[in-house]
Amino acid sequence: MKIHVYAKLKDYFQPEFELLETIGNTDELRAVLVKMNGGADELLSSCRFAVEEGFIDKDFKLKAHDTVVIIPPSSGG
Amino acid sequence: MTQSSSYPPAVEAKAISTEPLDIAGLLAGAHHPGAGAVVLFSGEVRNSNKGLAVNFLEYEAYIPLATRLISEIVEEARRKWQLHIAIAQHRVGEVAVGDTAVVVITASAHRSEAYAANRYIIDRIKHEAPIWKCEHYADGSQEWGNNCNCK
Repeated sequence: MKIHVYAKLKDYFQPEFELLETIGNTDELRAVLVKMNGGADELLSSCRFAVEEGFIDKDFKLKAHDTVVIIPPSSGG
Repeated sequence: MTQSSSYPPAVEAKAISTEPLDIAGLLAGAHHPGAGAVVLFSGEVRNSNKGLAVNFLEYEAYIPLATRLISEIVEEARRKWQLHIAIAQHRVGEVAVGDTAVVVITASAHRSEAYAANRYIIDRIKHEAPIWKCEHYADGSQEWGNNCNCK
């Protein structure tokens, strides 16, 4: 599974990286990421997730070949 | 003597721009014979934040989704307030103090709709579009915005 992160999340992770673990949903993905870098826990809890340019919720079933984009709270404008 | 007016074709602005925003050009394309009001909002880079001097801001976006969301927000406002013109464009990359980071233009028959729609569009873009700013301070430090700080 490919992961892309933006903005402040880049203080904790590479902008793009790959996970080889079996990850079924966004809750599991968040847990894997927190295990990688516990400092990102609070920020990750407020992030949204997207696949194929659309937001997904926690019930979305992730697949191994998905590219998941992790989206921190917006701060544009 | 009758004065004639020419209206340039409405601008089809890209929602996200890597280039400086051409406010004058966008406004020139935002006039419509049925519009008695045109409202332009320009969100510009301040020279200070939290008491610190700011050198510039850097904007980053998840461009495919930001483009789609901004287009949907603009289209929703266009229908809700029956706008003749609705344009929103957000900059990415480095933006200098005093330069425009985001522009929203709305044109409608009367001013109340143009003002309301403009406010609606910018508020939703700031809250919802996956766009982030990083403050680059004069002391060399930098900080990503954590959240929309709309008041």
